[in-house]
Amino acid sequence: MHVTSNNGVLYQDAIIAYKAVAERILVNPNVSASFTSDLLKAYHPDYLQNACGLLRVGGNRDAQCHHQLVDALQSHSHLKPADITNMPVTETDILVIGGGGAGCAAALTAAQQGSEVILATKLRLGDSNTVMAEGGIQASINKGDSPQQHFDDILSSANQPVNKQLVADLVMDAPDVLLWLIEQGMQFDLDDHGNMCTRRAGGASQSRVVFCRDYTGLELMRVLKESIRNSQVDVWNYAPAIELTTDSKGQCTGAVLLSLEDNQYTLVKARSVILATGGLGRMHLNNFPTSNHLGATGDGLVLAYRIGARLRDLETFQYHPSGLIFPASMQGVMVTEGIRSSGAYLLNAQGQRFIDELESRDIVSAAIIKECRQGRGVQVSDDLSGVWLDTPGLELRSPGILNQRFPKLIAAAKNAGIDPRYKPLLIYPTLHYQNGGAVIDQHGQSTVKGLYCVGEVSGGIHGKNRLMGNSLLEIISFGRKAGQHAALSSPSTQHGEAGISHLIHFNAELQQAQIPLEKKSPVLFPEYTKFEIGCDFRGSEKI
Amino acid sequence: MNTPVVNSVNVTINGKSLTVPKALSVVQALWLGGYPRIESLGCLEGVCGSCRVLVRRAGSAVVSTELACQLLVEEGLDVSFLPYTDTQPRTYQLGCPISLSSVLETFTQTFPEAAKCRHCGGCDNSCPKGITVESAITLATAGDYQTAGEMFLECVLCELCETACPEFITPAQIGTFSRKVTTLLSRRPSNLIHRIEALAHQQFKVDIDR
Repeated sequence: MHVTSNNGVLYQDAIIAYKAVAERILVNPNVSASFTSDLLKAYHPDYLQNACGLLRVGGNRDAQCHHQLVDALQSHSHLKPADITNMPVTETDILVIGGGGAGCAAALTAAQQGSEVILATKLRLGDSNTVMAEGGIQASINKGDSPQQHFDDILSSANQPVNKQLVADLVMDAPDVLLWLIEQGMQFDLDDHGNMCTRRAGGASQSRVVFCRDYTGLELMRVLKESIRNSQVDVWNYAPAIELTTDSKGQCTGAVLLSLEDNQYTLVKARSVILATGGLGRMHLNNFPTSNHLGATGDGLVLAYRIGARLRDLETFQYHPSGLIFPASMQGVMVTEGIRSSGAYLLNAQGQRFIDELESRDIVSAAIIKECRQGRGVQVSDDLSGVWLDTPGLELRSPGILNQRFPKLIAAAKNAGIDPRYKPLLIYPTLHYQNGGAVIDQHGQSTVKGLYCVGEVSGGIHGKNRLMGNSLLEIISFGRKAGQHAALSSPSTQHGEAGISHLIHFNAELQQAQIPLEKKSPVLFPEYTKFEIGCDFRGSEKI
Repeated sequence: MNTPVVNSVNVTINGKSLTVPKALSVVQALWLGGYPRIESLGCLEGVCGSCRVLVRRAGSAVVSTELACQLLVEEGLDVSFLPYTDTQPRTYQLGCPISLSSVLETFTQTFPEAAKCRHCGGCDNSCPKGITVESAITLATAGDYQTAGEMFLECVLCELCETACPEFITPAQIGTFSRKVTTLLSRRPSNLIHRIEALAHQQFKVDIDR
C-alpha cells in the first residue's frame, strides 16, 4: 500500500469537527506557473524518486519508463517459437483485441464496411474501463466555444509535447463522434430547449463535457454492446492475446489468443490487427490503488513493443484526484470529476480549501498529496489519510443536485453506509490512466505495418495530463478511424505468413540485457488474484 | 482453548469454507483464500454486471441475488457465483428512417414473450440495482419506451432479471432497446446539429502552430 501520511487528524475527530457550510473562500489561490511546476515536482507520483528506470531492450531503448512497466516490457514471451506450429488456425479480415469502447467502435466501423471481424477480449465484451467512465465526453458544441479552444486546452494542460495533428483531428471530429453515438441510441442529458447539457472539465476554458448523469460510460457501453450484438462481429470472450504474429517482413499478421475457458491457444490470422487493450492501472504503479478494471495490466504495450512498435511518454500516468479511501471496501473507487465541475470543494482536516478544485487533475492530485504529507489530512489508519470532498456544501448551494446528476455516486455511497448529501467523502488520488502509449498516425496505425493501436494503449494526445472527457472522445474517434482505415486498406488477398520469429531477435536482446528466463509477460491479471496461465480461471482449485 | 479471532469471519464461497478478515469483499476473500477466480469478474465497481452471485445469510432461508464485488463478507455468509449461460441473443434491425410504428413492430417480433408477463415479481426481487423491472416491462410492452428506458438508467446488464423470469423474457435487453429507440425517435440536440452544420461549411479550423 502506498503510504499517504502518518500524522493527520483522526477520522472520528475530523468528522465531528466537520460542519457543512455553503460558501468557503479559497484563501490563497496561487496558480502561477512556478507554483504549479514546483507542486508537481515535489508531490506528483510521476516525480517520485526511483519511480522510473531506463529501458534496456527494444525500440525505446534508453528511454525513461516507469520501472514496473520496464519489467513487463523486458520479459519473455509465454510462447516458444516452435509452439505456434500445432495451434488451430482461424482466419479473418480484421482482428480487434479489446472489448471496451475503442474496440467496439473499431469493430462496428470495420464490419459496416463489409469486413469480417473478430473481436477478442480478455474478460467479457464491455468489462472494461469504458463502462466505469463517469464524467462525460468533450466536444465544442456551444456558442462561444470552438475546436481551436478545445485544442488549446489540451495543449496547455499537456505539460509536454504532443502530436498536434492527432489533437487537431480529435477536436474537429468530436461533434461527429457525439452524433455517431446518438445514432447508436445513446442518451445524453438535455436541457429544456433540447440542447445537450455541458459541464466544465478541470483545466478547460469552456464548459464542453456532455454527459449522461454520472453513468456516461455505462450508457455508452450498453448501446455499443447492443450494436455489436446486432452486427456481424464475432465476439470471443475470455480470450486474451498473448502474442502478436508477424511475417518475414515484420508486418503484423494476427495474434495468438489464449482461451481462459479451456487453456487452449488459437492462432488468428488477420489482414489487420487493431489493439484496443486499454491501460495498466492494475499494475498498481508506486503501490497506488486504482480505479481500473481487473484486466488493465498493460498487455497491449507489451505485445506491440515485442513486434517493434514504437512507444512514447512511458513515464507519465494520471492519478485521479478523487479516489475514495473510506470505508476500506471502497478504496480506489472513483468519484467523478463532474462533481468538482458542479462546484464541490476540497477541504483539509481543518475545513480549509487548499487548491482551485477546477485545476487540472495532475495539479489537484499533487495538492491533495501535499496536504496529507504535511499533516493536514484526515487519517483513517496508520498509513492512510485523505481530504474531504465537500458534497454536503455543494448540496447546500445547489439543493437536489446530488440526486439529480450523480445517482451512481449516491448509490455507491449508500451501499457503504454514507449519505453524501450530509456527510463529506474522504478521497485520495487513485491510479487512473496511462497518458502515453504506442506511437500512432492519423488513422491509428502504429509504426508496425498492419498493427493499429487505439484508445488508452496509444500515446501522443494527452501529454502528461489528460483532461476529463477526452478519453471517451478519443476511443470513439480513433476507434472509428482505425476501423475504417483497416477495412479499406486490407487487401482481400491470401493471408500472409503468421509466425513469431520476431521473438528470436527480441529474446537475443533480453539475453544480452541478462533478463532471467522465468520473467514472462503479458501478466494478464494482478498477482493478488493468484492467477497463472494454465490454472482453472473459475478458481475451483486452491493454488 | 482457542481464542476466537474477532476480526475474522467464516464464509462459504462456491462451496469452499474460508476464514478471512472482516471488511473484505467476497471477491477479495476468494483471492486471499488462494482461489484464482477470474471468471465473472470485471470492473470490481458494480457497473459491469459480471459478478452475479446467489447469497444466503446466516440464519436466513432467503436466497438473494447480488454482485460479488459489492458484497462484504460476514459471519456465516454462503455465496455461489452464477456465471452467464450462453443463450441465443435476440437481434433486430431498426428501420431507417425510424418510425414509432416500425419500432412497435420490431419490439413485438424481437420480444414476443414480453406480453406474457405473469407478474410474479421475480425480476424485481433479483435486481441488484433495485430497478422496478416488472412495471418497466409493462410500460415498454405498451409502447412507452421513454419512461421504461429511464427506469433502466442504472441497469448494468447483469441479466439476473432474465435468469429469474419463468417466461424467458429478456428485461435487461428490453431496457437497452427502450433507451435506444427513445433517442432514435427524438429530435437531435440543437447545439450539436448547429455545430456539425458549421463544421460541414468549413466555418471552423484548427491552427496547430498558433
